[in-house]
Amino acid sequence: MSFARPRLGIGLTPRLLTAQRSTALRPALVAYRSIPSSRCLHTEHLERPDRLEGPVSIKSPAATGTLTAQDEPDKHTDLYKEGPSAIDKAVHLFFFTEILRGMWIVMENFFRPPYTIMYPYEKGPLSPRFRGEHALRRYPSGEERCIACKLCEAICPAQAITIESETRQDGSRRTTKYDIDMTKCIYCGFCQEACPVDAIVETQNQEFSTETREELLYNKEKLLANGDRAEAEIAANLHSDHVYR
Amino acid sequence: MVSLARYIRNIRKTGVKQWWHQMQYIGDAKAGTLVGTDQFGNRYFENLNPEDEVPGRHRWVDFAQHYNNATQVPAEWHSWLQHIRQPPPTEDEAMKNLSPSWRAPWVENLTGTRGAYRSYNTVVPKINAWEPRVAARE
Repeated sequence: MSFARPRLGIGLTPRLLTAQRSTALRPALVAYRSIPSSRCLHTEHLERPDRLEGPVSIKSPAATGTLTAQDEPDKHTDLYKEGPSAIDKAVHLFFFTEILRGMWIVMENFFRPPYTIMYPYEKGPLSPRFRGEHALRRYPSGEERCIACKLCEAICPAQAITIESETRQDGSRRTTKYDIDMTKCIYCGFCQEACPVDAIVETQNQEFSTETREELLYNKEKLLANGDRAEAEIAANLHSDHVYR
Repeated sequence: MVSLARYIRNIRKTGVKQWWHQMQYIGDAKAGTLVGTDQFGNRYFENLNPEDEVPGRHRWVDFAQHYNNATQVPAEWHSWLQHIRQPPPTEDEAMKNLSPSWRAPWVENLTGTRGAYRSYNTVVPKINAWEPRVAARE
């Protein structure tokens, strides 16, 4: 295919040459500049030291009068010299070549096997650090991990977590209320980062959509049940990532 | 077309009955090795041959139930199906070692049914409604 892309670099060259020009000649050459190639014309007028003193007889530098257009590097640069000619561009315009190129890509992909993943049967890859539905974990002995330090409640930016604690009969402090409003939660993962005992985690489960809003107001029993049924997956994910934690 | 040849090849591999079953659910003729079966009877397949399956479609599940959804996959197989773990849970040593004895049975998302979760308060409520008590007249 002979559809050459127009060169994008051409528009940038005058600006680069302008920046390289010597600063001594700049005030004198301002008038010769073409408007698109000058960097900031209006500020240069304001920054002139004699701008408040009115027109005085300014002696030009010695070489200024003999400057021709050849001495200015960007003055006679033909912007279209290296790019496509006007006829080339007109051909592409009138024969709709860009549309044809697009249609060609469509036709190529029409004959390729689709990449569509049939969702409930096939699933896309997920990270072991994925932050989905929350769960409260237990120690391998079966003792619940959460010690009601309330760090997750403090760090939660959406203030979705509510914790109340009490001393248990054996003297250890545990939560009596651990509520997460899943409609408030933004799944930032700060709670599992703040937790000192890895009690609150975000599991890889993302399919916990409900029919009613009330079902998303999780309490402690629901979170512990989430942890109990998915503990093998949670522990395996933490194990696979433990080098980086 | 490449995919038509693959389609016919997969029908010849799996047989017409399995092809008809797949067309009811996954909607494509797929042939692969049976990696395992979970406790609910869902069957998990894998085909790593790039001639047969494009990458990303090489692991799939055949649900046991007709009215299936994604949460019927238990957590161990979920991490295999979503490519979180490389080996299946039957061969995954880390997953087998870290599976505790108090592990609860997997339940699917029961929303919309009578078994749906209903939120409740786990502590004594702090605000109680006023219960008017009429003093007995003398």
